[in-house]
Amino acid sequence: MGRQRSLLLLILVLAIAAIVVIVRIPTRLGLDLRGGSQLTIQVKPNEEVKNISERELEAVRKVLEERVNALGVSESVVQTSGKDQILVQLPGVDDPQQAERVLGGTAQLDFRLQSIEKSAVLDVRQKELNDLQSQLFQEEAKGEKADQAAIARLKTQIAEKEKQAQLAFEDVFERTELTGKNLKDALARPEPMGNQWAVDISFDEAGAKQFAELTKKAAQTGARLGIFLDNKLVSAPGVDAKYKDTGISNGNATISGGFNQQAATDLELQLRGGALPVPIEIVENRTVGATLGRDSVQRSIYAALAGLVLVLLFMVIYYRLPGLIADISLLIYALLTFAAFNLFGVTLTLPGIAGFILSIGMAVDANVLIFERTREELRSGKSLYRSVESGFYRAFSSILDSNVTTLIACGALFWLGAGLVKGFALTLAIGVVISMFTALTCTRSLLLTSLSFANLRKPEWFCPNLVPAKSQPEAIS
Amino acid sequence: MKLNVIRQRGLWWTISVVLILASITGIALSLQRYGAPLKPSLDFIGGTRLQIERDCSQADNCRQPINLATVRNVLTQEGVGGSSIQLIDDNGLSIRTAQLDETQRSRIITALNTQVGKFDPARTQIDTVGPAIGQQLLSAGLLALLVAFAGITAYLSLRFKLDYALFALVALFHDVFLVIGGFAILGLVLGLEVDSLFIVALLTVVGFSVNDTVVIYDRVREVLEASPEQPMDDVVDLAVNQTLGRSINTTLTTLLPIVAIFFLGGETLKYFALALIIGFISGSYSSIFIASTLLAWWRNRQQPARSIAAASGVVAPTDDA
Repeated sequence: MGRQRSLLLLILVLAIAAIVVIVRIPTRLGLDLRGGSQLTIQVKPNEEVKNISERELEAVRKVLEERVNALGVSESVVQTSGKDQILVQLPGVDDPQQAERVLGGTAQLDFRLQSIEKSAVLDVRQKELNDLQSQLFQEEAKGEKADQAAIARLKTQIAEKEKQAQLAFEDVFERTELTGKNLKDALARPEPMGNQWAVDISFDEAGAKQFAELTKKAAQTGARLGIFLDNKLVSAPGVDAKYKDTGISNGNATISGGFNQQAATDLELQLRGGALPVPIEIVENRTVGATLGRDSVQRSIYAALAGLVLVLLFMVIYYRLPGLIADISLLIYALLTFAAFNLFGVTLTLPGIAGFILSIGMAVDANVLIFERTREELRSGKSLYRSVESGFYRAFSSILDSNVTTLIACGALFWLGAGLVKGFALTLAIGVVISMFTALTCTRSLLLTSLSFANLRKPEWFCPNLVPAKSQPEAIS
Repeated sequence: MKLNVIRQRGLWWTISVVLILASITGIALSLQRYGAPLKPSLDFIGGTRLQIERDCSQADNCRQPINLATVRNVLTQEGVGGSSIQLIDDNGLSIRTAQLDETQRSRIITALNTQVGKFDPARTQIDTVGPAIGQQLLSAGLLALLVAFAGITAYLSLRFKLDYALFALVALFHDVFLVIGGFAILGLVLGLEVDSLFIVALLTVVGFSVNDTVVIYDRVREVLEASPEQPMDDVVDLAVNQTLGRSINTTLTTLLPIVAIFFLGGETLKYFALALIIGFISGSYSSIFIASTLLAWWRNRQQPARSIAAASGVVAPTDDA
């Protein structure tokens, strides 16, 4: 009995340790339970970068991490996933749309300088376009008498001219060396007048020097600066002639271009996070509101408790004394498993909780096999003690087989499944492993210990309506 | 209670064949209607699902019932008028559309906010899945299923003789097939869609439903060890009956918590639980009635003249080790 006693002591210590762990270490809830957004971001190749290597992926991850930090979301996670994807978890964001906007933009900022000669070309094209448009307007104003053929001809001409004007426009601003890489900081602020917003930026040392150079040139020639974001002109400020000797040398500039507050804030966040080296696309977004998450947690707790109570009742009603002992083991099982989740930092998702609840039912399966075997042995006339022993002994192979097959399925799911699905595989697998311990060791020790009390040693408490083939006196030392 | 599994095997096989034919019909109809064996959710084909609920703590916000025509109108303006719109408990909406980007989504939400009532962002659920990701989820899920099948076959053939493993696998296919067929029919009747949790359910069924088969086969081996002279039919009959209690009870104890999930676990887990319920019941049935009778039929066919003693398992039996 010494061995049983030390095992019981071990179980007791484990149970207490489990309670301590559950109380002290908080449970990590997945985004579907605490509310938040999970985004899967696909990194795409472009003309310059044909293949996404580990280096590009890491660079994108860094930029996204900066942007997420700029959003001010605590406990966010940005990690690479596979060869060309990045997983972003944003717990508790209240504006998932903003997160998506800020993360999704490439934010390639660059400064260009207007070319005076090419501007002249653009002016000509613009004038030609205006002429055509007014001709069309006049023709259309004639109403029913309008020459439909002329209208159609003019429309084609206008479309052509628009293309030419666009090409001329793209030529007008010439690229410079100064880009978003030279940024030190960005800050959105309301413009003093009107309700528009602007973004103040400041350059690092090299950037400040280039900017001074650029503004000097602009002030001398009267050319405008073109501020481009993702190849789109956002503003084209002129530079005052007073800067023609030194340029603007303090390294500060303002981007204004009809931003509202939201657009300005988004731009600030994107600029602070830096530009993405390659384009990205948000290919998956799973967002759950915080209240919905809380509801799910509550419902899961109800389901888990109901499931547990049903199993406990079934076991004690059907299997009597051993059922009661299996119930105690099951409670220890629930404690240990939950503690294991907290201890190993398993993130509990909704499917994960389902896995846990499911494992409650599977955990007693081993006991069912053992107790059925025990009953069989009792019916064949063996003594109580020997029946219990051989129940455990003979059922073991089936128990092992069933658990291994479940673990194989869990393994396949864990290695190949994605995201939330993994949580299910993990919790179910942890549950299966721990249940092997509780259903075998725990139940066995408790049952053998209980047999050492004479008034618990009643075969009918193990097997109702027992008609033994031959009666044998109990023999326990 | 004594079951004559062998004598009535025609009946058991007929039941299974009928169920399988029903499944095939469901899958075929589903293929015709949805172009897929099961009605796929956006997890697999991509798309956007918006689930929103009005904030009824604000005064007057929920006085008017939600007018679905207004909602449809908003969606039509975004060019997704053909989307499915569902009303949930008077104040909630579930909208399933083609994949929407963030701008389109914001516009829809803003429009609904002004035209239908203020929505509570803390009760909003958004799922957007790109078609490529959907493909990825599907192929990963199917691969996991294949790997699980292969792993379990390998394990079973290690533990039992090959033909035992083979029939356990037949029973396994039977169970998985019935779950798929059941959901194909549910998809046709209730418009139920299968998501990635469905694949999880299939995998769980694969891992669990073989358990009862293993218990019965273990016992077949044990009985054969003890009395090698007995005809295979009697051995199987005996084994099934001796293990009937535990076959039913292990399934029952596992089903109890799943039934709790089905009724209390909320929308997301409801049909996951249902898939498991179908799979586990079918698993129990196929173990008791199909895997056993097939094994007996096969052994009788294979070695009618040879000594039946040779039929016992290769692995050491359970009772002495």
